[in-house]
Amino acid sequence: MNRWIPLMRRTVQTLSFFFLLYLVIRTAFPMEIKIPVDLYLRLDPFIAVISSLTHKGIIERMFPAFGVLLFVMVFGNFFCGWFCPMGATIDFFDRLLFRERKRTKPFEDASLRRLRYGIFFFSIIAGLLAFQVMYLLDPISLVTRTLVIAFYPPAIYLYNHLLPSVQTILPSNSFFMSSVPLPIFKVNLLIFLVFVAILALGVIRKRFWCRYLCPLGTLFSISSRLRIFKRSVTEDCTSCQRCVRDCPVGAIPETSPRDYRHQDCIACFKCLECPPQAVSFHFSLPRWKTANGVNLSRRYVLGSLAFGCLSALMIKTNPLQSESGLKNNRLIRPPGALPEEEFVAVCTGCGECLKVCPNNALQSTFLEAGLAGLYTPRLVPRIGYCEEFCNFCGRVCPTEAIRATSLEEKRLIQMGVAHINKTRCIAWDTDKICLVCNEQCSYHAIIGDEKKRPLVKEEKCTGCGICENKCPVDGESAIIVFSSGVQRKLKPEHSDNNG
Amino acid sequence: MDTSKKWNVTRREFIKGAAALTATPLVLHQLPFYGTLAHASSEADLVIAKHGSPSQLLQAAMTPLGGMGRFVKKGQRVVIKANIAWARTPEQACTNNPELLTALVKMCYEAGAKKVAVWDHTCDNYQFCFSRSGLKEAGQKAGADVLSGHGRNVYKKVEIPNGKKLKTAEVLRDVLEADVFINFPIPKHHFATELTLGMKNFIGIVWDMELLHKIDLHQCIADINTLRKPDLVVVDAIRILTTNGPKGPGKTEDIGEVIASTDIVAADAYAAAFFKHPKTGKPFKPEEIRFVKLAFEMGLGQIDLSKVRVKRVSAT
Repeated sequence: MNRWIPLMRRTVQTLSFFFLLYLVIRTAFPMEIKIPVDLYLRLDPFIAVISSLTHKGIIERMFPAFGVLLFVMVFGNFFCGWFCPMGATIDFFDRLLFRERKRTKPFEDASLRRLRYGIFFFSIIAGLLAFQVMYLLDPISLVTRTLVIAFYPPAIYLYNHLLPSVQTILPSNSFFMSSVPLPIFKVNLLIFLVFVAILALGVIRKRFWCRYLCPLGTLFSISSRLRIFKRSVTEDCTSCQRCVRDCPVGAIPETSPRDYRHQDCIACFKCLECPPQAVSFHFSLPRWKTANGVNLSRRYVLGSLAFGCLSALMIKTNPLQSESGLKNNRLIRPPGALPEEEFVAVCTGCGECLKVCPNNALQSTFLEAGLAGLYTPRLVPRIGYCEEFCNFCGRVCPTEAIRATSLEEKRLIQMGVAHINKTRCIAWDTDKICLVCNEQCSYHAIIGDEKKRPLVKEEKCTGCGICENKCPVDGESAIIVFSSGVQRKLKPEHSDNNG
Repeated sequence: MDTSKKWNVTRREFIKGAAALTATPLVLHQLPFYGTLAHASSEADLVIAKHGSPSQLLQAAMTPLGGMGRFVKKGQRVVIKANIAWARTPEQACTNNPELLTALVKMCYEAGAKKVAVWDHTCDNYQFCFSRSGLKEAGQKAGADVLSGHGRNVYKKVEIPNGKKLKTAEVLRDVLEADVFINFPIPKHHFATELTLGMKNFIGIVWDMELLHKIDLHQCIADINTLRKPDLVVVDAIRILTTNGPKGPGKTEDIGEVIASTDIVAADAYAAAFFKHPKTGKPFKPEEIRFVKLAFEMGLGQIDLSKVRVKRVSAT
């Protein structure tokens, strides 16, 4: 039985990763998949806790996460070792590429182990003050974001380049298929480097990220202290140190291998491979006391909290975040997004909306929305416009930072208003007939005057950006969408469509 | 000397032999041969069919033209340039009638086509255009490949030797290379060019469509039409869009006609009259649409309908 557990665990981990990958791939038109594509994010208690705190309300979509938390509280942390796609990736690369360095002296990690609690407290307090950087460290959000921003475009690139040779093999189709429009994201390299850096930390210690940084793991550690499914060691233990070496999270202290920090245990059952067969797992009464815990001094906790408060204040007083004239009026949020301040507090930057957007219109911000808005979605019309009959971004947002809207409702949301630069516009600047913007506008918001020059009717413009996208002027468009920072609801138009 | 002797045929013998040769297949394969004989003779260059369901209209419009067999031969690849440009529903008349597309594709297959592809370079996102217009389903139902030109790899950069302002363009490779090319437009109001007709439908084979607006839209429409003369033009005038074109939604009008022609300029000249000039309130004259006039001047077809063999038929 025991021999099968590692194999089983590896299988579950692989399946879990590929299931996430499958869900990310299916986060696309036509969105008819029955399983919620943001399932993993919805099962993430760290996101659930923080977003409920920052949102100051209950987020219905995140309910499943509390179920996971409850399970972990009672039975212990089965998530990190078995189901976490980030953990699976780290385990894979720890074996394949970033092997732990051999060392003669034991690795002293008490201070590092404390670090994750520091990060956790920092996150909570900063989160309460609406500073969303802690989402960047959430493993599920991180892994989806990396898949979408860093790996999805290269995958499409390769597909497009392989397409001609694949099509010559397939004789059935005598017509050439179009390549897929290449998705592009400005922050891809940065996201990729962060991901590689996290994997490379495995050189110092295997599962470095999980042991010392991951805030979700910390939440599990804190909450699973009263677990009832626990390890016990019989008198046969010879202190051979095998379990100490094997434990991927370092929960077994060298000095006393018969004890362990049960709250850190991720139930991988590696310690069952014990030469004298002294280790077993069974149900027992909850116990608060733990061996060789973390020394969380009052000074350390208060320090973390103070640092979190101050960081949040720095962010809050950043000009981009304040009401100053530096506000970025080209920062167009997706349709149905919460008001800016709440939006940056609730958006986890997971990248689901970037993936689902059929026109690659949603882009990840870097610093355009201030530090608090790092990796949040924005509409960049010159890259892609907001499709009229699409409400996918609201349907995939796990934290409801983009509200789920009906198509009718979405088509009346004004994200911004288009403005014509008459010195660059072909029709205004020369006497040519252009009117691409009028032709493309879905909402009859652009009309032509008697000389066939375009004019914007602000009360009808939704700011979808199709005009800016299709404008044939080189470089920056002659018609540009500006946002006022608040999304308005337009008056429904009595359609003059008699069909 | 012997050989020359052998081939010495008198006039009488020759006529006898020729008559026998012609008659043999008639006797052996009577029905199909008569069929092709009937197809080969065309009574008109522009046929207008009225009254009937989409498939009946198409059938009625095609017969006087010589039937589909005149254009599509056995084993040929057919490309239909439909109008699937917008994510609109069929009732809104911004895209082709799905039933008519199904009938057209079926007719191509019945004439012996090996494969039929329906192409368009959509303006809205192709996935939404294809599903909302119902045209992907309609095309696939009849066995066609419904393809979108959203990837640059399906285009080919070509010179336009007869183009006046547009000298090169990237156009759909399949349109150039297919054995048979059918232009399948829907007439609509168009704010920039007054109307969008068969020739304007050609813009949807170009990769950088918006660029044409920058050069000179009307001349570019005429120029791009010099690239390949469509073997057949089927104008879908069952329901047309009369305001807010080309994207709509706007007012629609049920004309209930299908026009089949071999002359794209003549087809456009006829279809222009469906619409009223915004200033005069009278039906458009073909010369009032600049690209039609330019195309006529460039010799792409006949603008004067009195010089074209026009035939009106009733489908039922």
